[in-house]
Amino acid sequence: MTRLDRIVVAVLLLAGGAAWGSGLVPEKSSLSFVGKQMGAPVEGRFRYFDGDIVFKPADLAHSHARIDVDLASIDLASDESESEIKGKSWFHVATHPKAVFESTGIRALGGDRYEVKGRLTVKGVTRELTLPLQVHSVGGSTVAEGSTVLRRTDFNVGEGVWADPDSVALEVRVNYKMTLKP
Amino acid sequence: MTQTQKYSSTAITLHWLIALMIAVAFLVGLYVADLELSPWKLKVLTWHKWTGVTIFLLVLFRILWRLSHRPPEMPAGMSDLMKKLAHLTHLAIYLLMVIVPILGWLHSSAAGVSVVYFNLITLPDLVGKDKALSHLFGELHENGAWALVGLVGLHVAAALKHQLVDKDNLLARMRW
Repeated sequence: MTRLDRIVVAVLLLAGGAAWGSGLVPEKSSLSFVGKQMGAPVEGRFRYFDGDIVFKPADLAHSHARIDVDLASIDLASDESESEIKGKSWFHVATHPKAVFESTGIRALGGDRYEVKGRLTVKGVTRELTLPLQVHSVGGSTVAEGSTVLRRTDFNVGEGVWADPDSVALEVRVNYKMTLKP
Repeated sequence: MTQTQKYSSTAITLHWLIALMIAVAFLVGLYVADLELSPWKLKVLTWHKWTGVTIFLLVLFRILWRLSHRPPEMPAGMSDLMKKLAHLTHLAIYLLMVIVPILGWLHSSAAGVSVVYFNLITLPDLVGKDKALSHLFGELHENGAWALVGLVGLHVAAALKHQLVDKDNLLARMRW
């Protein structure tokens, strides 16, 4: 490497570090949700997910996100509920172990707000959705977070006796917080 | 018997109402614990929680009532030791009537499920979601309920002993 090359690389790295976050830091990220059973809020989260995220505020056309969620890593604080939700009526993790979100476009809404359009695939069903995102910087890392409401039955999650919205509500609020590598 | 040897009608009503509700909550609790997870189980579990909250509120009111209204004296024929044992049993029953619903509430909070009383009032979560804690509180809730029922059994046996063996007509104090 010539001296000039080194300078170019260093400048690119610095610029890169300042201008975008890429990659995901799973241990500083979270994916949780709140549903309702019999009208009472129920919290849960996914322990394991990973993703490939490139976020450049100045170049949104070349920014993208893909998040893979290990559905079997669901935490419902009860063995009984966890084994039920991994079963056929719910996520059916034996045949569909992952939920995948793949972005198709990111749009700036002004300030620290963005909008990510993409496709979410759960249990073999793919649907378009738009996720609101708030992006800020924490200790040099980029943190993108937001929440959206999904209808579980759009993805055939909770079939048969569980389709009844009175026992478990159809709407589930999903909260995401993704910390990107600096 | 003179009037002062009876419990107040409020105390009598609270006693029998709470006794009935504890019996229902206990039996429903035993039933629901063995059910497979299903919408029906979630319904029954929710009713069980509402019953528990109601018992808890009634018990709090009953304790305030008990502290502000002197109960009748124990029968004169009882030895000091028996009086002490009776008092201790009553105290233990009161304690468990407060503790068992709180353990149920803790169990639900730790399981990440908030308690919404009659679908109207959301009770604060006492602890964060934690599977191990939830399991522990579940066990304690169940053991506490069995201890409560055991003590109630002792209480009933003692009342029957007074009524049938000592023939001191003790039960009249708990009749309206």
